[in-house]
Amino acid sequence: MLDRPDAATLLRGMAATLSDDVLPTTSGPAKHAVRVVANLCRILEREFELGASQSEETRAALAELLDRDGTLPELVEELDQRLRGDAATDETFDAKALEVVLDDVERRLQIDRPGYAS
Amino acid sequence: MTQEDVGALSARLSKLLPGNPTVRVTGVASLGAQRRTLFLDLEKDGTTTKAVAQIASQVLDGDNVANEIRLLRAAEGKGVAVPRILAEDVATGTVVSEHVEGESIPRRILRLVEADPELGGRLASDCGTAMAQIHQIPTDEFRDLQDLTDPVRYANEMEKLLDTLTAPHPTFRLGIRWLRRNAIRDLPTPVVVHGDFRLGNFLATERGLSAVLDWELVHLGDPMEDLAWLCLRTWRFGADENEVGGFGSLDALRRAYEKASGVWREDAFAWWTVARTLWWGLGLARQTQVFIEGGATSIVLAASGRRVVELEYDLLKLMQDA
Repeated sequence: MLDRPDAATLLRGMAATLSDDVLPTTSGPAKHAVRVVANLCRILEREFELGASQSEETRAALAELLDRDGTLPELVEELDQRLRGDAATDETFDAKALEVVLDDVERRLQIDRPGYAS
Repeated sequence: MTQEDVGALSARLSKLLPGNPTVRVTGVASLGAQRRTLFLDLEKDGTTTKAVAQIASQVLDGDNVANEIRLLRAAEGKGVAVPRILAEDVATGTVVSEHVEGESIPRRILRLVEADPELGGRLASDCGTAMAQIHQIPTDEFRDLQDLTDPVRYANEMEKLLDTLTAPHPTFRLGIRWLRRNAIRDLPTPVVVHGDFRLGNFLATERGLSAVLDWELVHLGDPMEDLAWLCLRTWRFGADENEVGGFGSLDALRRAYEKASGVWREDAFAWWTVARTLWWGLGLARQTQVFIEGGATSIVLAASGRRVVELEYDLLKLMQDA
């Protein structure tokens, strides 16, 4: 059992505190750092809410592309291996891989930079 | 920066400068992950002169700073707007130059453009002209610079960089394969390439470009590399409607470049757009790894890790649309 507020709620509050209360009192490099940290809190809030389901979607898509089961890190590693070098050039596989990777990238953007993929 | 840092830095800069003026740090112009830019007042015999110090972090090595200084002087000879160097110290990656009026912070420049839409076109033209002038610097004196003209070799270099990263990056693997398959066939005569000419690395006033800065990535290469880099989505800072740095049109850039005797090659522009998007994605991933491995504590470097995905997206879309 975990205590409340949960991580997403706390991160939302942390981001608001940094932006609303701390930011106006800072200047120069500190101001930049506060902005960056507030943004990271918002990223983590979204990751807490979306991360697990998104990772599973990518894992399933990679399993289908590679025609094998495995954990997400295992499958990403295998795709990376298959795309190494230029010896095994297979444009059909590359095109399919691009679609799977782009879907994953769009999911990650929902966490890291909503609105970027438009 | 703490007060103690400022004191030590002022003393160090004073020793470097001719006449050893009293150095006062009056402000911070920008805070890139790779270098700090500081505004200075140099006080001597009751006179105050404004100056700018650029201090590289350990990410850059001394050779880059030495190259930057040599090139600044050659560029000045070609008519490129650059700040005059007052003092230099390659060992600490420090260059002090005269103060040139203008903004370097991207959002401030974009605000100037918003207030005066004609400025965007002027700025894009100024960039095109400056690039053409840079690309006409005689290469004889710069034969020792790295030559990145060959696209296949460039792709190989990207692969080597990628292999130094501990995390797998399938997007970048796909990018390297694309670069090899679509390698430029008609190679140009190598020219001096600025290497980092983009919004944030030049000064602008309401009149237009006032100085080209940040020459530490200068090398020999394909002129289209510079033009492509300036137009990458990542340097538009959200103002995507303007292809050139978020402030101007590709047409204005191209017309000025050609008017100043530059030769525009569309296929090479497209290839270098993909290549430099990949390169910057790898750069951000590399900064992230430095943080993860404990080589740096800056939260800005850590945050780079969450920007890699933007470059992945840009890269995949460019490949898909090509």
